[in-house]
Amino acid sequence: MNFKLLNKEFRLAAHPNLYIFSLMGPLLLVPAYPYTILFLFSCIGNYVNLMYSRETNDIYFTEMLPIKRSDVVKAKWQVLLISQAFMILFSIPFALIHGQVFKTNNVAGIDANVAYYGFGLMILGIFNVFFLTEFFKTAYKAGIAFLMGIIPASLIAIAVEVLVHFPNFAWLDSISGSDQLKQLPILVIGIIFYALMMWVAYKVSIKRFAKVNL
Amino acid sequence: MNLLEVHDLSKKYPNFELKQINFNIPAGKIIGLIGVNGAGKSTILKSILNLVPFETGSIQMFGKEFRDNEVFCKQQLGVVLGGVDFYKEKKLRDITKVTKTFYGNWDQIAFEKYSKMFNLDENKKVKELSFGMRVKYSIAVALSHQAKLLIFDEPTSGLDPVSRDELLEIFLQIVKKGDTSILFSTHITSDLEKSADEIIYIKDGELIKAAPKEEFIESFQYLKDDTDKNDLTLDDIMVRMEGKHYEF
Repeated sequence: MNFKLLNKEFRLAAHPNLYIFSLMGPLLLVPAYPYTILFLFSCIGNYVNLMYSRETNDIYFTEMLPIKRSDVVKAKWQVLLISQAFMILFSIPFALIHGQVFKTNNVAGIDANVAYYGFGLMILGIFNVFFLTEFFKTAYKAGIAFLMGIIPASLIAIAVEVLVHFPNFAWLDSISGSDQLKQLPILVIGIIFYALMMWVAYKVSIKRFAKVNL
Repeated sequence: MNLLEVHDLSKKYPNFELKQINFNIPAGKIIGLIGVNGAGKSTILKSILNLVPFETGSIQMFGKEFRDNEVFCKQQLGVVLGGVDFYKEKKLRDITKVTKTFYGNWDQIAFEKYSKMFNLDENKKVKELSFGMRVKYSIAVALSHQAKLLIFDEPTSGLDPVSRDELLEIFLQIVKKGDTSILFSTHITSDLEKSADEIIYIKDGELIKAAPKEEFIESFQYLKDDTDKNDLTLDDIMVRMEGKHYEF
């Protein structure tokens, strides 16, 4: 972590929407709602944030600071990581309250359970790898980078929401203790997948950004 | 000692090419980089700063290879890119607060002195400042971290004559001590007549001539024709070198 760069990111570069879209945890208290949207909101927040960076010439400003060129990528990568980790941690208390309050299933789609967070990490991971690497091809075209990321991310979200309606996968939708224990491997896979995607996003983005004419 | 050495810098674009640029910036000098719009001045400056990657060549700054020592070199470098504004909605105070954390040798007292000297109001947002004030703010920041090399891309082109004169006066003050140099690009030749020690002339991506000002002007006097009574000025030289004849 580079704290000086993070300070710059959050004090100068960040768009307020990044914060708002990272604070969507209370949506888990809506009784019937496609909860995977929370992860897609995080993607939108990060997209708006990067677009704002472009409009404020943040990339130029950062590149002029006494840092390495690759640190420009590192700063944005760290923002993705922190905003998403925060979004998840902030939502967990609401998921727990949800489990206590609603005894019936979420009829709209998957419940806020262990599997939900596993799939959520997959949604974020796939978004990040396409979004960040595509953006740093030009350090300019944020719109196309968002589309490249949000399409596969949405497909996973839709697949998850549909999947839990099939009786065979009812255990994925459950918030009972034993079922959530069964869901644990999905969370582990989600964490590994997210870590792997973030590693690829970091490496490829640095490589691509090194070739960009600012 | 040379603060900057550019060796065989080459860079290819689909429709433009920088061809083997070589020049040095000694300490305590003001160097003007001249050429018409599109000649390659900004590309050279951006290549020096690693904003655009180049194919061949090397950039030595403060005796070290820039690309391998970016952090070290940038600590002692001040840059103002023409027409690029940062964080228009932010106050100068907020930008300064963040910027200074990156510089190990930040001198707050010096910064306050320059801010006062340039009449900078730290509570103003970037968008509320004129172009000249933005340039002055960048200079104040550069001087406050004791930059040894200042690189400006067309700092005077958006300025009124009074501000331009004032800025050139500041340039002369900065280099007076002898350890700091300024490299600035311009297409306004009168800037150079007032302040530059040396001139580097770029045409179509090629370095035509790099020499001390008097020697530079002297070397182009061969362009004189029978109608010229006086020596050619920098303006005349550029017009004759670049001039095209149109027939309609």
